[in-house]
Amino acid sequence: MHRPGIPAGVAVALLWTCVSLRAADVVQIVYGLNAPALQQYAANELGSQFERLFDDIYVTVVETPGDVSGTTVYVGSPQTNPYVARLRPDWPEVSNQGIVIRSFPDQRSHVVGGGSPVATMWAAYELGYRLGIRYLPRGDLFPAKKKSFDLDGVDTVMEPQLRSRTWRTINDFAIGPESWGINEHQQFLRQLAKMKFNRVMLAVYPWQPFVRYAFNGVEKSTATHWFDEKYPVDGDTVGRKAFGGKKMFENPDFSGLTTADERHEAGRQHMQALIDTAHELGMTVGVSIVPGEFPLEFQKALPGSVIAHQLKNLTITAGSDLGPADRTFRDLVAAKIRAYVETYPQLDRLYVSMPEFPTWGAHADQALHMLQQRGLSAELTMGKLQQMARDRDVIVSGDRGAQAIQGNLVGLAFFHVLFEDAGLLKRADGRSVELVIQSVDPALFSVLDQVVPGNAGTLNFLDYTARRSADNRHFIPQVPAAQVSSELIMTLADDNVGILPQSAVKSLSTLVDVIKQHGWAGYSTRYWVPGELDPAIYFLARASWDKELSGEQAVRELWTTATGNKAAADRLWKAWEHLETATDLIDRHAIGFTFPVPGMMMKHYHAEPIPEWWAEATDEYTQYMIELYRAQGAIDGDAKPVLFYYAKRGEYVLEYFAAVNAVRQAAIAREAGDTEQAIEYLETALEQTYNCINTLADVAQDQSDRGVIAVLNAYAYRPLLDEYEKLADAE
Amino acid sequence: MISTMQQAAKICAVMFVGVLFVASTKLHAEDWSQFRGPNATGIAAESTNPPVKFSTEHNVKWSAAPGKGVAGPIITDGRCFVTTMTDDGEFAVLGLNAVTGEQLWKTRFEVGKLPEITPPNEHASSTPASDGERVFVHFSTIGLIALDAATGDELWRYPLPLPFYLMGWGAANSPIVHDGMVIFNLDDDLNSYLIAVDVESGDVRWKADRPEMLGGYAVPVLCTANGRTDIVVAGSGKLKGYDPATGRELWTCNSLLRTIMTTPVVQNDRIYITVQSYGDTDRVLKYALLQWRDTNQDGKLAKDEVEPAFHKKFDDGDHNGDGFLVDDEIDDAFQAKTNRVGGGNIIQAIRGGGEGDVTDTHMIYNLHHQTPSNIASPLAYAGRLLMVKKGGISAAFSLEDGSTIWMKKRIRNFGNYYASPIAAGGRIYVPGENGKIVVLQSGPEPEVLARNDVGDSLVATPAIANNRIYVRTLNKIYCFSEEN
Repeated sequence: MHRPGIPAGVAVALLWTCVSLRAADVVQIVYGLNAPALQQYAANELGSQFERLFDDIYVTVVETPGDVSGTTVYVGSPQTNPYVARLRPDWPEVSNQGIVIRSFPDQRSHVVGGGSPVATMWAAYELGYRLGIRYLPRGDLFPAKKKSFDLDGVDTVMEPQLRSRTWRTINDFAIGPESWGINEHQQFLRQLAKMKFNRVMLAVYPWQPFVRYAFNGVEKSTATHWFDEKYPVDGDTVGRKAFGGKKMFENPDFSGLTTADERHEAGRQHMQALIDTAHELGMTVGVSIVPGEFPLEFQKALPGSVIAHQLKNLTITAGSDLGPADRTFRDLVAAKIRAYVETYPQLDRLYVSMPEFPTWGAHADQALHMLQQRGLSAELTMGKLQQMARDRDVIVSGDRGAQAIQGNLVGLAFFHVLFEDAGLLKRADGRSVELVIQSVDPALFSVLDQVVPGNAGTLNFLDYTARRSADNRHFIPQVPAAQVSSELIMTLADDNVGILPQSAVKSLSTLVDVIKQHGWAGYSTRYWVPGELDPAIYFLARASWDKELSGEQAVRELWTTATGNKAAADRLWKAWEHLETATDLIDRHAIGFTFPVPGMMMKHYHAEPIPEWWAEATDEYTQYMIELYRAQGAIDGDAKPVLFYYAKRGEYVLEYFAAVNAVRQAAIAREAGDTEQAIEYLETALEQTYNCINTLADVAQDQSDRGVIAVLNAYAYRPLLDEYEKLADAE
Repeated sequence: MISTMQQAAKICAVMFVGVLFVASTKLHAEDWSQFRGPNATGIAAESTNPPVKFSTEHNVKWSAAPGKGVAGPIITDGRCFVTTMTDDGEFAVLGLNAVTGEQLWKTRFEVGKLPEITPPNEHASSTPASDGERVFVHFSTIGLIALDAATGDELWRYPLPLPFYLMGWGAANSPIVHDGMVIFNLDDDLNSYLIAVDVESGDVRWKADRPEMLGGYAVPVLCTANGRTDIVVAGSGKLKGYDPATGRELWTCNSLLRTIMTTPVVQNDRIYITVQSYGDTDRVLKYALLQWRDTNQDGKLAKDEVEPAFHKKFDDGDHNGDGFLVDDEIDDAFQAKTNRVGGGNIIQAIRGGGEGDVTDTHMIYNLHHQTPSNIASPLAYAGRLLMVKKGGISAAFSLEDGSTIWMKKRIRNFGNYYASPIAAGGRIYVPGENGKIVVLQSGPEPEVLARNDVGDSLVATPAIANNRIYVRTLNKIYCFSEEN
């Protein structure tokens, strides 16, 4: 064990004792007097890593250096550690994100530092990376064998290619981080810090319990999760072993809490802890809200509102009579925004989504006029914009595209008026929360700097999946990225493709290249189940600092180092190619195939021919699974259980496809009047669904995995069982 | 005279002890003292009214949480023995009062570096066996261990080589006790053998190598036929009979498949075995190895693609010495030339008591229905041979002639079946991995009496003794009974 913060004298005594007992390499890690907390943290992290990496090493982590023979690693910069300054190294010019790792062999010294305390922490992890540790979102993969202590050849000075590296979390649905307790979030954030992510975006929704506010005598009383879906666990729940005896699948931080007061308070604590942890790790934190939607109880407070049509219809929004200039509506939106700013006074950013107000179409011309008065080029007419939105090849196109651009214009005009009130984003400490406008329609990309209010940044969305976004990458150069800060939503795994294992490494690689070329600030992730995303996240993390790195290079390098087996690593790249092909097949043919909502399985229960692509996707997933089982059988060490987890999940998806096939065949048999055959197929579907859930439960490791199990029980197994029993009883 | 008197006294003493022993056997309660109870049949003959309905909250006589394990519990002389891996990574054997669940003792063993294992297998996977005075158990990194049944004190240990499996399955082999010997079969992919060790001294009595065998998990059974009791062991391709006194191979029936994870059952002079081994009959070992061990998929096995433990075998098979195993070289390295069998499904009845090759002479029937499980053993009960496989698909055949009684009927409990069915009092207990034990009424149809939920993964075959059922789930053990 290294000993953080042991006084130098004690450390010297310990070192002498140690030296006399064994021929260990003695390393002292010096973080300096009055060091920033992150610098001390970095020093302790370095110490822990050294002990796991090197044989026969004795590490002390100290404030001031002792007079000992051995190696000294100074942590920090000349500004934050006087011992670094005393070394008088040729300290390079680096930004506040720049990393510096320097060796001074003649002095048996090294410096691990950066342009800020957080950059120093990243430098410690960069050193760990260069020594063979592979950081992944759910843990570290250390080299299988320890080596002798040696830091030669690790000198580097690095600046990020993408300065904004945002991790989105919370979201919606039981399969996503909305299910994670704070402990799981914190563990994830600590890993993301190792991967040098520097922002967190908390994507929250109106019905969730993270903020409470009142308006016109109505107090927010809705405080629920997952679109208010409930997932009980009982003796008939398949894969219940994953739930550890709990009677209900729920976010552990809200376990057993029923009243709005209790849930709101738990929500506040949960989100505050997330913010605090991210800040401790040097990340900024933003909250992403849908500003124009409110829980149903606000119907009374907003005459003229309408129910927003979506899953379970949990929110209201402005009706057609309530235009963007409506004072009551604007005040309600402002009340909600103030609630976030005041509840979480350390918030750094506010992301506001473009409202989808189909009812506001009538106000579009007026909105366009207003935007033009505020600097938008008059050449862009409504006709031109609608034509662009109609003709494009993203999922929102045609009439939906034309409607979307109208809604966007009205929304932007509304934001211009709303954020004229500079006090709206003012924090208690006098600073202002940074505004980011999210998902402006791509038809407006070329004038993005002209349509967003003030100095707002943008977070831009091209399409649901990375593949679709990559296909539409021609929109990216249209953004005047020098004039307006622009980040791209990178979908790692899409909720429409659903609960099945997904990969998008190749498409992400394309997108990263393009945003780097065109000066975008960075990206924000989008995903629900972490599942197979390790290689994609690893690629994003490394490519953010590397001008040239491709997805394939990153994945091959990851597995080569983590497995220590080149042959296995080569095959693992093939595995991820199969997985991405399977993901693309679902995306192309049936986006929404396993969207985690009621009807997920039974929507296949209709008498139509079995689509050919089901067999193609099954084959791709089969190859994926085989590659993984084979690779995990060939290796030892930290990567083995990781590959086994993927392999089992590869097995589960095959069973899911077998179930879907059987459901379709049951429907065909039922249509043909062969009830007996239909029952047999439903039995097979039930069995395969059962097996798929059980297979997943064998390796479930996080709340997202458990969420998938809950969803599969609720939307696949139980409806199938109901149908089976209905047919069997009738027979 | 004196010597005669002494002799007589000795005889009297022996007779007295004998009478006491008989009396105690008469008095003592029903035992289930090895894997699957008496001779691995899965039948508790003296229990006439075991519980039908039970759960973690209903009809629980007692429960305990010994820790993780997948070995079955055994019951001997009022004691219940279970094994577990402790939280700090030690192997432990526990002695419990079978009536109250009170822990009598717990003996721990350091195990060193543990070998690879594939779930649902766990390291505490060997079901103990007991002769009433001692408890015997196997652990992969230790060998055979004997403990005092009353105190848990270690009496002796007999080191055995660490088993190796080409597919990384891990060990899960269980001993039996017969005629003063612990009989233990271990078929792995390196050095398969059957061994007999003296129960008192721990000295080896004999050892029979089984070089033709690949990794497998059949427990030895005893078959009395032709006035002789043989030890019968199922293994790759072959069912073999051994002389218990010497370990000499007496007969072989070359009718089995490649991978044998089930244990045969004996009734009268017949041995019944059901096997599912993956792949068809032509799929010999090389295909599996090329699919799963050829890491770079170049169609040949390189030396570094197999564990170092197998390198000697590798060299033996590498006829041209090019450092690769290609095509038949793979089978030559790992599978005996005399025993190249593939996969499939078999349901066989074989008469015991033979000599030499009995394949053609002692086979009573050999069926190929796709009904056997690859892991759960069959139950020979009330004239029927019952089997349940993944998905809760059951089938039954006449013990007498193999005719179908029912074919592929679901017992309405999906999932995997690793534990084997057991029976008592006309009731059949089918334990599913999902923790549901389906109780069937023994009869010409699979009539379900109850589906009982024991709340946790269930891989170990339960035990029945004295109308109580002992269920060892992954983490706990329950004694269910309808006694108040």
